Amino acid sequence: MNAVAVSVFVFLFLVVTVLGFAAARWRRAERMDNLDEWGLGGRGFGTFIAWFLIGGDLYTAYTFIAVPATLYAGSVVGFFAVPYTIVVYPLIFLFLPKLWSVSHRHGYVTPADFVQGRYDSKPLALAIAITGILATMPYIALQLVGIQVVLDVMGMGQDSDNWVIKDLPLFVAFVILAAYTYSSGLRAPALIAFVKDTLIYLVIIVAILYLPSQVGGWGHIFDVANDSFTTFNTENADAIAAGEVAGKGIMPPAAAQWAYASLALGSALALFMYPHSVTAVLSTRNRSVIRRNAALLPAYSFLLGLLALLGFVAIAAGVTVGDPPNPQLAVPQLFENEFPSWFAGVAFAAIVIGALVPAAIMSIAAANLWTRNIYKAFLKRGATDAEEAQQSKYASLVVKFGALVFVLAFSKQYAINLQLLGGVWILQTLPAIVIGLYTRWFHRWALLIGWAVGMGYGTWLAYDVPLPGDPDSHFGGPLVLFPGSETTKVYIALLAIIANLVVSVVLTFVFRAMGVDEGVDQTKDDDYWADEGDEGVELELDPLAEPHR
Amino acid sequence: MSETRPSASPSRRLWILIIVLLAPAVVLPLWVPLYNRTDPELNGWPFFYWFQMALIPFATVLTIIAFALSRIADRKDREARDRARDPQQPEDPR
Repeated sequence: MNAVAVSVFVFLFLVVTVLGFAAARWRRAERMDNLDEWGLGGRGFGTFIAWFLIGGDLYTAYTFIAVPATLYAGSVVGFFAVPYTIVVYPLIFLFLPKLWSVSHRHGYVTPADFVQGRYDSKPLALAIAITGILATMPYIALQLVGIQVVLDVMGMGQDSDNWVIKDLPLFVAFVILAAYTYSSGLRAPALIAFVKDTLIYLVIIVAILYLPSQVGGWGHIFDVANDSFTTFNTENADAIAAGEVAGKGIMPPAAAQWAYASLALGSALALFMYPHSVTAVLSTRNRSVIRRNAALLPAYSFLLGLLALLGFVAIAAGVTVGDPPNPQLAVPQLFENEFPSWFAGVAFAAIVIGALVPAAIMSIAAANLWTRNIYKAFLKRGATDAEEAQQSKYASLVVKFGALVFVLAFSKQYAINLQLLGGVWILQTLPAIVIGLYTRWFHRWALLIGWAVGMGYGTWLAYDVPLPGDPDSHFGGPLVLFPGSETTKVYIALLAIIANLVVSVVLTFVFRAMGVDEGVDQTKDDDYWADEGDEGVELELDPLAEPHR
Repeated sequence: MSETRPSASPSRRLWILIIVLLAPAVVLPLWVPLYNRTDPELNGWPFFYWFQMALIPFATVLTIIAFALSRIADRKDREARDRARDPQQPEDPR
């Protein structure tokens, strides 16, 4: 443990804690006891705040740890994060302003609210809400994994055999996070995101300017990485041929091209259906804020690409990551080895704060789903705005402690597997949400059955994927062979969504022919184009007004 | 339900243009065989890496242009809506 690094880290963590509690007074509304304020920060964030908030939300600490880890481990398919975060912005540009408009007109807080209004189907809205909560929980757990990795490298709490002391730093960090999220709502991560992103940008820019020259320049870095992978492949040729170990390389093999593209597309389509991205988008002031951000947010993608390559830098710098190797330690260990200790402290704080922001937004988003689409829809129909906000606050605590217990009690691999499944699951809400923004052609019951088929098929496919070298294991990765192909692998989520769409289309014809009731659409065409200043879209929503439901 | 949007016609062409403009930002990153090679290298970077990094500013420029066009489209729609509501007032007052 390095005293300087730890002191800098603790200092920055305290700054963020003070900000988190102070956020309750930031842009204060007259009444805070409703979901528009607690859960969406008053729905008034402009371009500047939204850029930090959405950036802090989508580019999580786990991404910053896991993506370079895959490159460090010689699995270059992990670089798909770059095309993925390019493709996602044109999609956000086209789709999300429509969701913003209809949500503002009708007071929707969650994607499931929209589905309820559009399709007049409580079972379908419940399915969307449960999918969102299920997909979000392991994502929160992964943020904890990111924090754990950093604490590991700093040597905090790891020397002890007593699990209480061992996990105490993580526990303390999370209790503080839970407390200020409870009191400040979405304002807390919005304000902390400024610190998070400033630190992350600082660290990455310094890392990219400073580290490559330290280890001999980019050309040398790519050469060393390539040589090390070639050596590995030669030494393990038999095991690779037997499929026990995956081959390594700095270029994706031709057979992996479909995997690469399908992971990028599938992840991009899934990203903006995650409840936490919808929450961040609905907190913006108007449609232009979303569109302008679609043009500004790729700055983070550039950062992510550079950061991913730190995986190769770590190889060139001779970073080792323990035995058995844990590639996730590569980047934090690189910082620890190469930076002066005070700056290593800054870098570690950046990653940990980078985990707190998305964890807060995700827990708020999951809590909103619980409150609006389960509690209010089924348990207490007449809940007032204040009761809704209170219920969400409690739910955010439950969600976070659930994630904490999960990470402490089960293996880390379990959280990673579930997060993988989460991506498959969340994509199954695409027909109801995204296609629903354009047309109500699909029948509500067809959508529900299509969703169930996609969830079941995707889960089954993922269950059958073993980890390399362990044929009896399950949930070993996101890829399966394309049906009928010997070598071409694709992302499971895309196969599942195809099954989902086919079933939804066929059953829509069937139900329509049978004359099954389609329910009443609460939304009008005009709602999908409404903007700030239009009738029914207030600058700051009046918390006393009845939501149109 | 029909997808007709009474005020959509003035901006329809602009929206087609926006979609055409944004299409390369979606298609090129997904077209892996296009860039899955090492040459030409740039400053030691294999093509695979520098090309994908270069796609980011490229997509950003396209999105900025699309954003400017969407503002024009929104303004036209608003004017058309205002005219429909109040025929006496041909211009957007703002």
